[in-house]
This record gives sequence, C-alpha cells and structure tokens, in this order.
Amino acid sequence: MTAATKTIEQRKIKARRVRLAAVPYLLLLPAMLAMAAVSLYPMIDGARASLHKYRYGIDAGYTGVENFRNIYNDAVFWQAVETTIRFILIAVSIETVLGLLLALLVARELRFLGLIRVTLILPMTIAPVVVGVIWRLLYASNIGIIDPLFRLLGLGTPDVLAHPTSAFVGLVAVDVWEWTPLIFLIILAGLESMPQDPLEAARVDGASALQVFFHHKLPLLRPVLLVAVVLRTIDAAGTFDQIFVLTKGGPGTATQLIAIYSYNTAFLFNQYGHAMAMMISLLAFLLLLMVAAVHLMRRSSELLE
Amino acid sequence: MTLRERLGLLFVYATLAAAILIAVFPFWWMFVTSLKQPIDIFSGVALWPQEVTFDNYHRLLRDYHFASFLFNSVVVVTAAVAVSLVLGTLAAYALARFRLRFGVRRMALYAVLLVRMLPGILLVVPLYIVLAQWGLLNTRLGLILIYAGLNTSFVVWMMQSFLEEIPRDIEEAAMVDGDSRLTALRRVVLPLAAPGLIATAIFSVIATYNDFIIALALTSTPVAQTIPVGVSTLIGKIEIQWGPMAAAGVVGALPIVIFALIVQRNFVRGLTLGAVK
Repeated sequence: MTAATKTIEQRKIKARRVRLAAVPYLLLLPAMLAMAAVSLYPMIDGARASLHKYRYGIDAGYTGVENFRNIYNDAVFWQAVETTIRFILIAVSIETVLGLLLALLVARELRFLGLIRVTLILPMTIAPVVVGVIWRLLYASNIGIIDPLFRLLGLGTPDVLAHPTSAFVGLVAVDVWEWTPLIFLIILAGLESMPQDPLEAARVDGASALQVFFHHKLPLLRPVLLVAVVLRTIDAAGTFDQIFVLTKGGPGTATQLIAIYSYNTAFLFNQYGHAMAMMISLLAFLLLLMVAAVHLMRRSSELLE
Repeated sequence: MTLRERLGLLFVYATLAAAILIAVFPFWWMFVTSLKQPIDIFSGVALWPQEVTFDNYHRLLRDYHFASFLFNSVVVVTAAVAVSLVLGTLAAYALARFRLRFGVRRMALYAVLLVRMLPGILLVVPLYIVLAQWGLLNTRLGLILIYAGLNTSFVVWMMQSFLEEIPRDIEEAAMVDGDSRLTALRRVVLPLAAPGLIATAIFSVIATYNDFIIALALTSTPVAQTIPVGVSTLIGKIEIQWGPMAAAGVVGALPIVIFALIVQRNFVRGLTLGAVK
C-alpha cells in the first residue's frame, strides 16, 4: 500500500467517524426545528409585535415600550390580573385538598380500582370546550339542573352565570370538577410508589393514622404535591376555553381572566401590540413557574424511580 | 374484619360513589339533553329522555356543518400526529441512546418541557401574524403544521422515557448480527416500544383533538374549523340551540372517552407529562 492511498483510507475512516458522530444530532435536529418554528419563533415575533403599534390590525411602526406603559395604566388589565390570581388561588387550593383526600381514600386494596380511577378522571380528559358545554347545560336557568336543585333545597334560584359573584364561583366549581382529577392522579401515583416500611414501623410504634399522615406520609409526598400544584397553576393561568363557552368574561368583567382579556384585545379589537404586551407579561410570570416545574419534576421523578 | 373496619370500608365506598356520581352525572345530563326533543328539554327536570330522538344529531349534520368539522378534525389530527410521531421518536431515540456532547441532552429536554407547558394563548397572536403572511390562515395545512410542531415536544418527552426502559443489549445484539443502527431501531427497538408508541399516539390524538384556542384564532369558516370550534359556534349571542349544542358536546367527548377507557393503564403517565410514572 502506498503512502498516498493510506492517507486516503485514513481520511475516509475519519470522515466516516465524523458522520457517525453527527448521527444523533441529525436525528434531534428536525424535531427541535419543528418545535422552535411554532414556539420560539412566534415568541420572538410576539416580543417584536409588543413593541409595535397596530391600527385596525395593521402594523403602524415601532413605539418602544408604549404598549407596556399602556397596560400598566390599564385598570381593566389589572382587574384581569387580580381576577386571574384569585381564580388560581381558590381553584388550585380546593383541587389540592380534594385531590389529596380522594387519593388517600383510593390508595388501598379496593375492588374495581382501575374502573374507579378511570371514571374519576374522565372530566380532565375531554376537551375543555366540551366541559364548558356540559356546565352551560347544568347552569342554564331554564333547562339546567343546578337551579331546580337549589329550589329543592329551599335556597332560591341562583341563575349562576347571570350574576358577577355566582358566575365567578361557578367557574371555580367547573375548574375544580375538571382538574381535581389531575392532582388526584399525581398524588395517587406518589402514594403507590411510597416506601411502606417507615409507615408500617410508625404504626407498630403506636402512631395514630393522623400522626402517620402528618409526620410520615405528607413529608414524603411533598415533592409530588409541589409538582402537581405548580403544573396546575401554570395551566390555570392560561384558562380560556371553558370561560369562552360559559361567560366570555362576563357578566361585566367578573370572570375576565388575562387570557380572555388579551384574546379579545387581539382578535376583537385588533390591538396585537397591546395584546402581546399583556401576553409577554404573563409569560414572564409563567416562565419562573415553568422553570421551577422542570426542576421539581426532575427531583420528584428521581425520588419516585 | 372487625365492625370498625367494616364501617370504615363502607365509608370509603360511599364517598367514592358520591365522587363518581359528581364526575359522571354531568356527562349523563349532556347525553340525555342531546336525545330530547326541544319541547322536552324545557319541560322540567327529567333524568332520561321522555321520547328518544336523534333529531339533534341530524340537525348538526344538516344545519351546522358538523360533517365538515369532523372531516377537518380527522385530517388535521391524523396528519399532525403522524408527523410529530416520526420527528419526535427519532429525536427521542437520539436522547435515549447516544451520549450527546455540549449539554445538548439537557437543553433538549428542557426545551421539550417548556414548549409542552406553554399555554396556547401566548402563541396565537404571533402565529396568526405568521400564518397571515404565508397565506395559511383558515387552512387545514396551517393547523397541521402548528399542531405537528407543538405535539413533537410531547412525543419526544414520552418516547425518550419509554425507550430508556428498553435494554440496550437487545439492539446491540442485533447490530452485532449485522444490522445497521437504523435497521436495529426499526426491527428490534420499535416493536418493543410499540405499547409506549401507541400510548403516546393516543395522548397526542387527545391533546390535538381537544385543542380549542389555536384553531379558534387561526380558522374562521367550516373550510378548516375543527370540532371544538364547531361546538363553540353553536353558542349564539342571543339564542342557544340547546339540543344541538348538547349533541355537539357528545360528539366532542365520545372519541376521547372511548380512548380513555382503552388506555386506562398508561393514563397516569400521559396525563401528568410523565411527572410520575
């Protein structure tokens, strides 16, 4: 073999090795590009739009931070922020307590456990729009069942969606119905993978059921519980579909969460820049939670494995 | 069993029965309303239809474009899920089997989770502007591209955890026997990962079929509108067609409920983003 052919051979081997080393990155690339095209790119473009003024939906040039200044001075925006926070706090708290209780109830040897579980979580599987339709039918004053039920109990006729306070409560109830199952599922999985020995030891030592729960189960559950609450908070902050079907934010602005207000600003009033400024603000808040969620999930799944 | 234990168990079952009633009754109410005639809908509380009629479903097809909505949903969901399954599984394979340098693996997994958690409301305005530039507003193609990209994140996340559970020895043996890596992936790994792949596909179908806000913002006529958007069109400003609306809700919920019952076992994992296994 001459020196020349030898180097050619070596080059070929080296080229082949480089090609092989590139394989995983090439496998990864299309997926990453596809994701970036529908999330990163729109976010960047949205950030640009938030610095532009739109008249009748047409870009009327750069305006700096004016859109942000406008939302800062927009009382309706702050009202929407407040309504959203109130909605998240109340709904997620109730869901956490109910989900935890339900999970503790189910985490034992039960007959029909599989069927019970899948039935309990049906509300979270169907389209949120359909959830809206279902509750619209239940709440309707003329054809629903909630009003007759209240009359039966002698509590008057609430006509839930027609009054500001009851409409807000009604939406929280819908959210609780739809999403308690998620918290229930996550906690149930946490309970099922929990080491039984320390609990058994505590019971043998004479700890009461409540003591076992508060001193042993709850601390072990904490990472899973945190994941559930953070995931749910992120989702609740973007609640749109059910409200769109049930109240469209009304009566007045009683149920106008940020998602509804910014959607209307964009697609009813064609104020894309103004709407994007709101959404960027929401994103800034959510990003913190999302990064927290990723960290918590890594920790809890390590614990659970 | 002591009396105390018996009472305890009775309490558990009674509470669960109440919880199940609360979870399921609203579905029943919608279903019953969808089978009632208009006059019966308004005639007071009845837990089953006085006289069963399929007229509401018939009207969905005849008056409310539901054949188009259904067709659009099927086309969009099938195409988007197929594309994202291919892209996502290849990427998941790279993440599960190769040692990636420069922290690529970590970054990729972060990106995947962040995209998955991003609420749709944050994306619709810029997506609207982009699709308008490309002339893809109110088209099925526009929806397919967007859902394919978004759903890829879910597929990558699910499939990399399923693929990691398949022992490496098996495909290494196949490669010693002369298979190339991609042949080994196709002949050995994918068949073993089939249950995971099917579960991932079903969850992808559920998520894509259920999406509302993106389709609502980016489509405007029955040419491209999907079922959830179609459902929302039945809620007029002045008058609501209760019977057809209930029927539409049933159409929207039915495929998902059936899927849910099929994939019972893998449900937890899919619905909780693999936050728990």
